[in-house]
Amino acid sequence: MTADQVRILDGSTFLVSDGNGDIDPSPTFPTGLFSTDTRYLSKWVLTVNGERLNALSVDDLQYFESRFFLVPGVATHYIDAKLSVIRRRLISGLIEEYLTFLNHDEHPANLIIRVEAGSDFADLFEIKDVTEKKGSYYREVEDGCLRLGYARNEFRRETVIDAGKSAKVDEDGFTFTVTIPPHGEWEACLKVRLGAVAIGGIEMHREEQTESAAPHMRFDLEKWLSEAPTVNTESEALAMTYQRSLVDLAALRFRPLTSRDESIPSAGLPWFMTIFGRDSIFTSLQTLPFVPAQAAATLRLLASMQGTRFDDFRDEDPGRILHELRYGESAAFEEQPHSPYYGSADATPLWVILLDEYERWSGNHELVAELEYAARAALKWIDTYADLMGNGYIWYEPRIPETGLENQCWKDSWDAIAYRDGRLPGFPRATCELQGYAYDAKMRAARLARLVWNDPAFADQLEREAKDLKDRFNRDFWVEDGEYYALALDNEGGQVDSLTSNIGHLLWSGIVPEDRAKKIAEHLVGPRLFSGWGIRTMAQGEGRYNPIGYHVGTVWPFDSSFIAWGLRRYGFNEEAGTLAEGLLDAAAYFQGRLPEAFGGYDREQTKYPVEYPTACSPQAWSTGTPLLLIRNMLGLDPHENHLAVNPGLPREMGRIEVLDIPGRWGRVDAFARGRLAVTHPKPVSPLLPRLT
Amino acid sequence: MTGATTKFFASIEQRGYDPRLGRMTGTARFDLKEGDQTDHWFVSVNNGQLKVSRNAGGEPDAVLTADAGLFDRIAKGEENPVAAMLRGALLISGNLQLLVQLERLFPGPPNARGPRCLHDGKREQKQ
Repeated sequence: MTADQVRILDGSTFLVSDGNGDIDPSPTFPTGLFSTDTRYLSKWVLTVNGERLNALSVDDLQYFESRFFLVPGVATHYIDAKLSVIRRRLISGLIEEYLTFLNHDEHPANLIIRVEAGSDFADLFEIKDVTEKKGSYYREVEDGCLRLGYARNEFRRETVIDAGKSAKVDEDGFTFTVTIPPHGEWEACLKVRLGAVAIGGIEMHREEQTESAAPHMRFDLEKWLSEAPTVNTESEALAMTYQRSLVDLAALRFRPLTSRDESIPSAGLPWFMTIFGRDSIFTSLQTLPFVPAQAAATLRLLASMQGTRFDDFRDEDPGRILHELRYGESAAFEEQPHSPYYGSADATPLWVILLDEYERWSGNHELVAELEYAARAALKWIDTYADLMGNGYIWYEPRIPETGLENQCWKDSWDAIAYRDGRLPGFPRATCELQGYAYDAKMRAARLARLVWNDPAFADQLEREAKDLKDRFNRDFWVEDGEYYALALDNEGGQVDSLTSNIGHLLWSGIVPEDRAKKIAEHLVGPRLFSGWGIRTMAQGEGRYNPIGYHVGTVWPFDSSFIAWGLRRYGFNEEAGTLAEGLLDAAAYFQGRLPEAFGGYDREQTKYPVEYPTACSPQAWSTGTPLLLIRNMLGLDPHENHLAVNPGLPREMGRIEVLDIPGRWGRVDAFARGRLAVTHPKPVSPLLPRLT
Repeated sequence: MTGATTKFFASIEQRGYDPRLGRMTGTARFDLKEGDQTDHWFVSVNNGQLKVSRNAGGEPDAVLTADAGLFDRIAKGEENPVAAMLRGALLISGNLQLLVQLERLFPGPPNARGPRCLHDGKREQKQ
């Protein structure tokens, strides 16, 4: 993504343009107007007397609104601006573009203003290679509107553009022939409506598109911000990062077609504006103390689509929580399995973990009771269909290798799971963090079984299974010569022995015995894994290590945030503080918006965090990261009906207050003063580990 | 009217109670079109208790419309109802949550192997 790209969005509808506000077909990075995994506009170009305009400045007013100040001519020419143009656009159900032309001359300006429009209706999955569409295109001019359409059997997508009465419409766009008096101005508004004419016959945008919802959206954003806790801090960078995160979380809210009154966090812009089980759950876990409603919506929505049958194409099993749902053409015609696709080995235990964590904060027994059947089905999936080798671990292997996901854990790129020497194991694979999640899911479900489901026998059984799993895991995954846990087991039972960030998730899950925790913490903040900004996904020195390898060396802020949570769980407050400080320092370089990933280079070497080339931004679980770090640094944890505060704040952070933290206690405030001395890089503290 | 569709609705009636729909109450009408004829089926759920009829009175909470041949294939598990909906081959209206829940009653593909066949030789069967 280049710096001059401008993006605005609302739920699953987003628009990416160049710095002048134009959309041009580009093979390298997608510009366009996108919704429901389809590009609805691939061409949108404004010219005056045949000339393109040049931006003097761009304001991103809100995440759903931007404004371009433009003058005729290209940047290389001397700009003699007798004319200026303000192009303001917003997304609020429909897309509105307001054009204002200002004539600064003492003579009238005779202008031919042209907006060219077109669409390739590309599916998000074919965006880089839109060559052979199987359906047919149509363009119609009717009632002063231009209708762009695409049809393949009953499948239809349409874009309808209305430029008002003063426009002359043709099949390629709109022409305004105007004379603006001296020092006068002229205005026009173009309205773009999307028609997913046949997602089940529901015109999904119709109701919202009758009039602009912008005033409502401004109110909605203000309400969202005012309902979240207030964070007062001496660190300007942290204050900015918190505010940025809240606004981005608002922008990433996704309302599924089947339940429009609730929103869940979608995964990220631009590729992932949809439901991902794993991403929505991790983000809900990170943001629970701040915006708890999303966790409840995520739990309900994912339960309502929990697997019920065997489907090899979709990797569906009974009880399995979905991986990804898409609405585009490739899902509709089963060229991709996303209707929905279930190939995730972690979403199911993570869903159980979120259910428990949500109860701990909210005290909402009703929802836990409502979801009992789904929780039991998820736990059964862990013990049966996930255990491909019959030895008590979660394993994964895609049933249809051509379309399924090879790696069904969060590190899902093809080379992410590798031995020290760089070789890749065969299938199935059992990565270590999956076993940690399974352990935690059982322990937490046992608590819910006693507390809400009134089934102490089930609780006892779950705890026995969890203990057994912990014992076996510590026998089978422990790498003796390195004193850490193997990344995975291979199908022969052998250890996939790379040192990776996955061991940090094990602390979060609690599957690490106390006498091994110190060694794990040492590895995590040691020089091979800790870059000074965050934890590398794979340690320096491993065969496949590459500081800009997607899952084999880059730093993922979300990954580090859960590791920081794990370090706190075992009492490694300084180490957690070091990590929090590194990540928040990095956030300041991105104006408070942490990218999906950045390079694993040493902080000393580059001095600033290098963004991963095609990283997604804003991305939900990166956006949730600062919130989880604040929770960690203050040591916020529910204890029955009150909120415990146990600060572990680096000295440089000064004082932090978090006001109006919502939960079963109503609203409470938490305060902390920085007392931890934290330096980079930092040796592990000699403190004995303790469970908090 | 085809055998698979009739069998599918009979199996729902036979099921009686389904815990997955334990919190769901409402009536869905299935309009199955063959030429200019439309067959109606009503499935009503009362906190998980399922009932099937051919002519329930009153307005349904949700309506699903499909070609009878397509629905027959869905009833056999040969076609995926969600993909059919995304294609526009299957139309829905009304209370969509109800339809999302009812969708889960359709069978999976008849030839699905499931996960456990992958390493049957190595693993002991657990249920």
